[in-house]
Amino acid sequence: MTTLVLAGFLVLSAGLLGISLFGILTRRNFILLLISIEIGMNAAILNFVYFGAFAGASTGLTGQAIAVVLIGFAATEIAVGLAIVLALNRLKGSINVAQANELKL
Amino acid sequence: MSLEEIAFLFLALIALVTAAAALLVRELVHTILWIAIFFVDLSAIYFLLDAPFLGVLQLGVYAGAVTVLLLFGIMVTRKRIFAREAATGIGATPMALALVTFIFLVSAVSEFGTSEQPIRYYDPSYLSTNLFQTNGPWLLLLGLIMLASVSGAIYLVREGRE
Repeated sequence: MTTLVLAGFLVLSAGLLGISLFGILTRRNFILLLISIEIGMNAAILNFVYFGAFAGASTGLTGQAIAVVLIGFAATEIAVGLAIVLALNRLKGSINVAQANELKL
Repeated sequence: MSLEEIAFLFLALIALVTAAAALLVRELVHTILWIAIFFVDLSAIYFLLDAPFLGVLQLGVYAGAVTVLLLFGIMVTRKRIFAREAATGIGATPMALALVTFIFLVSAVSEFGTSEQPIRYYDPSYLSTNLFQTNGPWLLLLGLIMLASVSGAIYLVREGRE
């Protein structure tokens, strides 16, 4: 049976969340922003999976089930994000988020 | 140190390095390459955690669909896809904020114990039972949200909209 330390996984996802936060705060390109959000989202999904893997039998599978739903949400978010990228590019001529200073797209 | 621990340390290191590299390289296409490696690496971590269904889903949805979608996003928004981004410096404040978040989260890790624990293996068929019976409403909600968001995305990019 495989045995692993839970703390290692927690440090990994904390690191991924830090990298994602850094990207969200510094990058001005919309696509890089989307990628940063995806990294943070993956850190959260990873949390669900390994807490599920280490938990008891009654709750363990729920972690994986939530992860499946979250992966679907993340894919949806990318689809909407890219639609916003295309609309922004057509209106402003670039995908710099600093130029998206109006609510109306 | 067991073989699984070495594999985990190796995969975790790759995940952190590729995630950082994806945000630090200046060509967007290189970003997509790094992020593809990141997604494949995460899927390997899922296999390590005895969650093969999620590993395959991660490969299909993230490494496959999301990567290609992002690549399409780059291709339709610029004339030369290998153009470089303007350099954006590493600001002190965002770096500090990210570091503080990381340290805050790591300081809470000791709450969860640092002893080795067994990873439970679940048959993927039980996952489908859990997904469609116990968590059925969530899956239904996911379907509705996907429908709404795809309609919204089409509304945003449709032709002739002022």
